[in-house]
Amino acid sequence: MKEEVVTAENLRKNYETYLRKGLLKRERKVIEALKGVSFKIYRGEVFGLLGPNGAGKTTTVKILSTLLLPDSGNAFVLGYDVVKDAVEVRKRIGVSLTVEKGFFWKLTGRENLMYFGMLYGLDGPELRERVQRMLELVGLEELGSSDKLYEEYSLGMKARLSIARALLTDPDLLILDEPTLGLDPPSARLLRELLIKVAHQEGKTVLITTHNMFEAEIVCDRLAIINEGTIVAMDTVDGLKRLVSEDITLEMLVVLPARVSLRQLKEEIAGVVSGRVEVDPTEEGTRIRVVLKPSEKEQVTQEMLRRLHSMGCSVRRIEVKEPTLEDVFIELTGGK
Amino acid sequence: MGLWTLLKSGLVLDIYFFKNNRAQLVSMFAWPYILLALMLGMGFLFGSAETFKSNVGVEADPVVFFIASTLVAMASMSVMWEVGGTVLYHRWIGTLPYVLIAPYRTSITLVMSYVPRYLLWSFMQLAEFIPVLVWREGLVGGLTDTLVMGLAIVVGMLPLLGFAAIFSALLLTIKEETNILGWLNPIILILSGAFYPAYLFPAWARLLSMLLPTTYTFELARLSSLLGAPKLAEMTFLIAVLFGMSFLYNALSFTLMGKAESRALRSGAV
Repeated sequence: MKEEVVTAENLRKNYETYLRKGLLKRERKVIEALKGVSFKIYRGEVFGLLGPNGAGKTTTVKILSTLLLPDSGNAFVLGYDVVKDAVEVRKRIGVSLTVEKGFFWKLTGRENLMYFGMLYGLDGPELRERVQRMLELVGLEELGSSDKLYEEYSLGMKARLSIARALLTDPDLLILDEPTLGLDPPSARLLRELLIKVAHQEGKTVLITTHNMFEAEIVCDRLAIINEGTIVAMDTVDGLKRLVSEDITLEMLVVLPARVSLRQLKEEIAGVVSGRVEVDPTEEGTRIRVVLKPSEKEQVTQEMLRRLHSMGCSVRRIEVKEPTLEDVFIELTGGK
Repeated sequence: MGLWTLLKSGLVLDIYFFKNNRAQLVSMFAWPYILLALMLGMGFLFGSAETFKSNVGVEADPVVFFIASTLVAMASMSVMWEVGGTVLYHRWIGTLPYVLIAPYRTSITLVMSYVPRYLLWSFMQLAEFIPVLVWREGLVGGLTDTLVMGLAIVVGMLPLLGFAAIFSALLLTIKEETNILGWLNPIILILSGAFYPAYLFPAWARLLSMLLPTTYTFELARLSSLLGAPKLAEMTFLIAVLFGMSFLYNALSFTLMGKAESRALRSGAV
């Protein structure tokens, strides 16, 4: 049975803000940030919270990090209540809420980690070893930047140091709020690879918020799409895609031998596929387009290739078109 | 894991700051002498050391008297400014959430991680005055003065921690971006008798003065500047008052800080 690391049950949170109306008057405004959010995250899983700006991602993350109290509902980390057992929860989590700040500018990367390590209860040789290991893990040691002042760091280096701090106490749960926001592609890729490694090789559970579809698709084992304080869908990436469309489109570009007509080709393919088949001549060759169920994809592709081969057709290109996570996101969040 | 590593974290942070910011280290050493020179310079404009003795009404060496006042004033300001201001500082540089998720109560984290900084700074500043004190009072007298001032700095810190933590809780709750202690500090110092003897104040100010722990800290420090042997009975009384106030203000701050913490975490101020 899978171990629950995070359990969120019907979390609700309102914020009060005041709008200035003239010099002395102000108007109270209530913003409903969470309207009953529930989900579970299991050990070793990378779980993504995907949503537009203002959807409630950071509010959820702050509640789980013990930095914000919910108005109602419960949240547990490894069985500890984030409100009543906040200190116990803090011992078991590593947090990165922003990558561009959160460190002392006049301290080096290593000194920053030494300070936060002590603040989190590490000391002596264990602390020094842990700091060194984290600097190596996130690649700052390799870059020769461990002993540079934080003020000299690039954004990519800052992001790496932020992950190193989150991992410093060897926590069971990593909570990362948009960890690749603003990073250049190589730094973002490195960080994603690091997250996958940390989760799948070191058995950490990771909760990540993002609105980067590509990142969510390659990093997350499961995703919850949150919109206006409500989780509108939660599943694996494939599962979410099926919410938008059950079908996928397989497209092939083939060159026919002179003896094979378009009609013959269409009949041959229709014998393999239960759905719609289109055959169109183009300048590059003949384009075949068939609509399939995702479960048929491999079997149908192999059978089509076998038949095309036996007919003497040469296949120039094969392309599988399925709904993207972006399609799912736009569909479920109403295009926001 | 324990309070020791929390205390050590505060100390290590300052050592790193000093290591990487030499100018800060130099200014820390220069500042008490600049302040003292200003006080003495103004004092001598009004008359000689003998005039000072007759005007203030105490048998004290003005240099030692002002060293004691300077040290205690700076130490007291430092406690109130730093503990209160630490919330703002962490908020500005973005470290506040990462400090607050340390596995302790927020008030414990904020106050305890500051204590080593206070002791380090105060004792370094006290140490730099030792040559002057020895010059004015002789070896034994100078070292005795140093000891009494050191005691005043340590004992005086205890009630101020609670006092300052209340303000830090307030800053945490109201999401304030200015340190109200900035303008409150001079008022506290005046009412504590840092610049004028408290017995000269009107009744209401004397009452406020009695409620402030800094009043007793100044008295304790000034005992060291009186000519002749320190008065043990008076010192014991002042230390007892300061311990009593420590208990009162820290208990009060612990309760208030708990409420403020909860309010701040509910309002999303962190």
